[in-house]
Amino acid sequence: MIHADDGSLSQEQRLMRDSCRAFVDDAVTPFIRSNWQREWDMSPGERLPRSILEGAETIGVRTLGVPEAYGGVDLERETEVRTFALISEEIARGDSGLADKLVQNWKVSILLREFAPKHLQDKWFPRLLADPQFLLAHCLTEPRGASDRWLPYNVPEAAMHTKAVLKDGHWVINGRKQFISNGFDASLYVVYANTDSSVGMLQGTSSFLVPRDTPGLTVTKCNETMGCRFMNNGELVFEDCRVPADHLLVQNTALGSAGQYFRAGKIIQAAKNLGVGVACFERTADYVQNYVQGGRILIKHQAVALRLADMATRIEAVRALIERASRAVDEGHPDMDVLCNMAKVYASEEIMKVATHALELHGGNGAMLEFGIEKLFRDAAIFLHMDATVDVSRMKIIKTMFPATAGKYAGPEN
Amino acid sequence: MKILVAVKRVADPNVKVRLRADGSGLDLAAVKMTMNPFDEIAVEEAVRLKEAGIASEVVVVSVGPDKATETLRTALAMGADRGLLVRTEATTEPLAVAKVLSAVAGEEQPALILLGKQAIDDDCNQTGQMLAAKLGWPQATFASQLAVDGDRVTVIREVDGGSQTIALTLPAIVTADLRLNEPRYASLPNIMKAKKKPLEERQASDYGLVIEERLEVVRLEEPPTRAAGIKVKSVAELVERLKTEAGVLA
Repeated sequence: MIHADDGSLSQEQRLMRDSCRAFVDDAVTPFIRSNWQREWDMSPGERLPRSILEGAETIGVRTLGVPEAYGGVDLERETEVRTFALISEEIARGDSGLADKLVQNWKVSILLREFAPKHLQDKWFPRLLADPQFLLAHCLTEPRGASDRWLPYNVPEAAMHTKAVLKDGHWVINGRKQFISNGFDASLYVVYANTDSSVGMLQGTSSFLVPRDTPGLTVTKCNETMGCRFMNNGELVFEDCRVPADHLLVQNTALGSAGQYFRAGKIIQAAKNLGVGVACFERTADYVQNYVQGGRILIKHQAVALRLADMATRIEAVRALIERASRAVDEGHPDMDVLCNMAKVYASEEIMKVATHALELHGGNGAMLEFGIEKLFRDAAIFLHMDATVDVSRMKIIKTMFPATAGKYAGPEN
Repeated sequence: MKILVAVKRVADPNVKVRLRADGSGLDLAAVKMTMNPFDEIAVEEAVRLKEAGIASEVVVVSVGPDKATETLRTALAMGADRGLLVRTEATTEPLAVAKVLSAVAGEEQPALILLGKQAIDDDCNQTGQMLAAKLGWPQATFASQLAVDGDRVTVIREVDGGSQTIALTLPAIVTADLRLNEPRYASLPNIMKAKKKPLEERQASDYGLVIEERLEVVRLEEPPTRAAGIKVKSVAELVERLKTEAGVLA
């Protein structure tokens, strides 16, 4: 109960889960518990000590999705997304910000594995492998909107404002990207930009690999977020940023190609969210079986037991949907896009309720910063918004289910 | 030099185990299982000796149920080269395991056999010693440090009140104590690679042995629950109770 059923996992998946859990219990949870103030350190680089990422390296969890030839982890492809879900849940059970730092690497590594020409893989995978602090980021969202404005309105009016033009053997990028996971810390960025303004964005958006030290790229700030604070979300500005022509990843059809990233991304998002829920449950179950009120331990008060049962039920329901959706992606099922968005939005709302119960059942302690439940509550809350809001996710579900009606572009607002 | 390491599948020491309702044994149906922590230390030591170029091959062996293949896979993911499961559903008592291991040693001809000093489930602390007796090899138990030099191995043992350094001639048996090393995690890439390493399954009868249960468990009891504390009204009462009830003051 509460955790994934061992019978549903392969031997390798169980061993991986065990290694991740051991790392979280030995290194991550003790750090978070005794350094809760670090989350509020206003120099973002200081928040998570280097030793945590170095520790993550000992279980090899930073380089999932990198082909084995480059020293990465070659998961079984037919269950790859399910394995991503399992591992991201375990890491997020320790800290969802750390999990987010790591999963961005997996998601971008899959893109590079699938779409980057060999010379780029040869150049960047070894650098990624060599440095435990090397992080990747995926730059899509812009100040003027993201999926709410773009998808599936495949018309020139909805195109990205960031533009790239080929000039003298270089792509020259101009524009801004915001709300970028790992944006503040990453060493290498995948950047999306408009390369043909006469067509819809599915035909006119290209992707590029941009190293952090490229002249013309400026990381302008770290966004201070309510939760998931150990992942440094950043904003980037591109001013005549010149990228060598051979750093083009996908020309014009980059957004279609990114489906690989989006689907795995939604599942991972839901799974990290579930990890936060599991942490809420474990902490709360422990608390109510030890804290005495009115002469008996809390769990013997029926009002407490009912809430705990509700937490467990919601966790199991979220897990069941994540398992179904991840299987759909692994099998390439026609409903996979709908199921991914369902898992993501359902996890965010249900785990928010789980976290609310956790906060309530801890009484006054639940609201105290040093107790750690308040952090889980904030970490759960940000999932409502991260990687698409609840409402945008629901819009996507209906537009995908009813492409001929709900999915039709209604024309620009005047 | 070949090293043989014996590993046992036990209940995870971090989970709370409960007795079966009839008191006949532990209820392990839904309990997470893992490698005996002292055996993990033994595997780690063997892998380090291989990485240092001293050992040429590390073979892990387990006597236990089908699911012990998972324990062996963990050892392979930590860096062992090859696994062997001698399958049995019986309760594995030290003498039976020592007999099987001695037969395996006869086939494998290792220069060094490493074991955990004891398993955390039955806490017998006998298998290594019995194996040494069966094979007639020298033994060093409770090792906190180990150094191999040619055909000699020097071991620092943890003994009551201090440490003892002894030298043994190979082939030898060493059992690992807590401070010998800090075992590594089985990393995700190595777990995938371990899938391709050989893991053989055999029966005790392949060695002409029968694994029998010679011990009868009469009864198991939960430890008594701790009684609640009391509040005393005065220092005088506290002193009185420390004398009469707690017996800590004369």
